[in-house]
Amino acid sequence: MARRFEYAQAEEIRDVFARQGVRYLFIGKSGAILLGYPDTTQDADLFVEKTATNNAAAARALLELGFTLNGEQVAEIERGKDFVQLKSGPFDLDLVFAPDGIEDFEQAWRRRIDVEGFPVCHPDDIIRSKEAAGRVKDREVLPRLRAFRDYWLERNR
Amino acid sequence: MATAMEHARRDEWRAEFDAAARRSLRTRFRYAFVYTYKPVLDDAGYRSFATTAAYREWCARDLPPWLGYGPAV
Repeated sequence: MARRFEYAQAEEIRDVFARQGVRYLFIGKSGAILLGYPDTTQDADLFVEKTATNNAAAARALLELGFTLNGEQVAEIERGKDFVQLKSGPFDLDLVFAPDGIEDFEQAWRRRIDVEGFPVCHPDDIIRSKEAAGRVKDREVLPRLRAFRDYWLERNR
Repeated sequence: MATAMEHARRDEWRAEFDAAARRSLRTRFRYAFVYTYKPVLDDAGYRSFATTAAYREWCARDLPPWLGYGPAV
């Protein structure tokens, strides 16, 4: 069973990904929580730029963080997948290389918010991806998340 | 036009956002990340999908509906 995701582990992601040169953004509810959204979630969701260089850097970073990956799994991440779900490490992690509702990484990167050194998707991008995903659990959270986006924009004008 | 109930709900949310804004990021983390076992989803250490659409289809087909990962009707 994976342990609860903790602040120190987020710091590890930030530091290891920076060391390995991985371009990524926190997205989903974990991204919203970094921005100040009060809610609960289980894992961290990272939007990772899908390029050969970045995929390879991400694979190295995961191994350094302590995720157990066999050779084939490392090769898959290096070759590029759209979605990788990891529950074989110190915490649960979803790598999203092509989130619904976001055209490309570069645009999201330009809109990113820095929260104490953590690169986070803009709340509009988090909302767009949840709207496009259209899952039951997304629909439930969207009204409150939109209210938070308005609150956040007001505070950060 | 927003109803009185909707106004009350938004006021309640705003109070929650204000309270969260007063907490440090470290404290927000402590309150936000919880572990709850999710059947099927948590039963494999590694999964990968070539496309996001394939992941969504797997969620809709293989996960218990009550987890909420299926499409909203």
